[in-house]
Amino acid sequence: MEFRKPLSLKLALACALAVAFPASQIEAETCISPYVKALKSPEKVMYLWALPATPGEAPDFLAVIDVNLASPTYGKILKKVEVGSAGNEAHHIGYTDDRTKIWAASLNTSRLFIFDVSDPMNPVLSKTIDNVAQLTGLSGPHTPYAIPGRILVSMASGPNGTGPGGIAEFTNDGKFIKSHPATNNPYETVVKPEFNRMITSTWFPQETWMKPLSEWDPKTWSHPNTLLVWDLKERKIIQTLDSGGDAVMLAARWMLKPGAKYGYNISSGGNSIWMFKMEDDGTFSYKKAGDTGPGCSPADLRQSPDDKYLYVSCFVGSEIQAWDISDPEHIRLFDTIQGVVQPNMMHVTYDGRRLYFTNSAISSIDYSSRYSMQLVQIGPDGRMKLDPNFKIDFARAPEGPARPHDMLLN
Amino acid sequence: MRPVLLRLCLMCALCAAVPAGVAQSPSEHAVSANPSLAVIARAPEFVLQDTTGKPVRLSDYRGRVVLLAFVFTTCPGVCPLISKQMAALQDGLKRDGLFGRKANMLSVTVDPETDTAPVLTAYAKTYGADPAGWRFLRETQEKTKPVLKAYDEWTKLLPKGELDHPARVYLIDHNGNIREIYSLAFFNERQALIDMKKLIAEPGAG
Repeated sequence: MEFRKPLSLKLALACALAVAFPASQIEAETCISPYVKALKSPEKVMYLWALPATPGEAPDFLAVIDVNLASPTYGKILKKVEVGSAGNEAHHIGYTDDRTKIWAASLNTSRLFIFDVSDPMNPVLSKTIDNVAQLTGLSGPHTPYAIPGRILVSMASGPNGTGPGGIAEFTNDGKFIKSHPATNNPYETVVKPEFNRMITSTWFPQETWMKPLSEWDPKTWSHPNTLLVWDLKERKIIQTLDSGGDAVMLAARWMLKPGAKYGYNISSGGNSIWMFKMEDDGTFSYKKAGDTGPGCSPADLRQSPDDKYLYVSCFVGSEIQAWDISDPEHIRLFDTIQGVVQPNMMHVTYDGRRLYFTNSAISSIDYSSRYSMQLVQIGPDGRMKLDPNFKIDFARAPEGPARPHDMLLN
Repeated sequence: MRPVLLRLCLMCALCAAVPAGVAQSPSEHAVSANPSLAVIARAPEFVLQDTTGKPVRLSDYRGRVVLLAFVFTTCPGVCPLISKQMAALQDGLKRDGLFGRKANMLSVTVDPETDTAPVLTAYAKTYGADPAGWRFLRETQEKTKPVLKAYDEWTKLLPKGELDHPARVYLIDHNGNIREIYSLAFFNERQALIDMKKLIAEPGAG
């Protein structure tokens, strides 16, 4: 009988197909401030913030890499913009809200560098802020994060490299506005504007990473098992989320769907993934969502544009994990790429189809000098495959020897 | 059959829109009653013209709080929404007896060639802008450029002919300091009203 009603059947089929095969895949830049002007087309250029393999031997630099598939120089470094000083320990970079500038943070000297990328293929170092600790009362800048017209920099420690840090706020062109003290050692800042909430994660103070790994002392770290929830408008900490054990809460990610009140972070010390969620009364719950396995030592956490997958780089475990988070409260390990040496920072493209990764963390803990940047292709089914045709070898000249860390696309 | 199909479709639509276990309701926690409004920078002075050709200086508003938006009338994205939200803010300021007296709004076009005075006048009318406290400003392209540059604003023609520009709104206090910068995409008029009232309550304002 149903087949005699073609209109109804068509309607039912259309509904089913709409769910199974959405008209267009969800495209969104991930792991970048929502205030940043979005990239809505395939990437043409990558900016890589790197340091020489022997720290202090030469200036840190921003590499401009051709990632335009149609280009004859695809996969090649087009230029390196040096910062004019050495020993900075290049680490994380972030765009300003209008995508015309890149802020580059350096862990050891606390210097902040501003690159003008108005002409995307020709970045220019437009400003260096030398006296960051003096200006802000904080040290060890980790991640620059855009808010409208300004940059928030998560600073790991107090002015002498010890104790709790905070968030330093600057104008886009580098004028210091104000510091906001934290109770831990801020690693990263992530904002959900529609809820006026900011989450900051934590790692350890500057004096820690400037020592050899064997001398690290967790007793000097400030609340390394906490995330802080802030009222963004008030710049005020309103809740501390405590894992009760798992420590070194590195990358944190809000889910991207409008109205999504939850996200995840990795615990490097606990080899785990944690879920934070804003409940209906406005308070946050916090619970362990997954185990990455012993020996993973998660270094970075990335997400797909459709909130279906998380990607975890296992710095010690030498693998990249894809987690299916379609059921947010019950996430599961979905796929892995094994045998990649000390993977660290990752960057997922706006269409969720490519994942670039580098393999230097910080010079005091890198355990392999086989530095490189590689590419993972992600299929429509979410499965990952290492791209055999893309590898930049930073272990030797002409590209290196250099330690590649954070990346941005344009 | 129809009700069944309807239920099926509704279920499909809901499954697609809402992941399991995720609330979608708007949050009442989105605004802050006690915003931190640190001095960000001096608001650069400018002289532009209103839609009647009368010169308007930013410093004319010293002693009052100003919300300054950079828009253009053919903007397909967030500009129409921000103008609608500013209309709602106008209503809120009027309700509180602040509009035009202690709080003013200025919308500056970044595309003066298209946004002639008559075009801007019609646009302002569309949103019910009351010139007693909300004025639309323009100048020649040549005279607009330095104003945009001073506010770190710019325009760029995209391949499909659309105009791109940084999507920001500036809140300026009675002393001419920028105290907040909003993203057009995440502008919340309830929060802006709270922010403006906080600045108005500061000594020397109004």
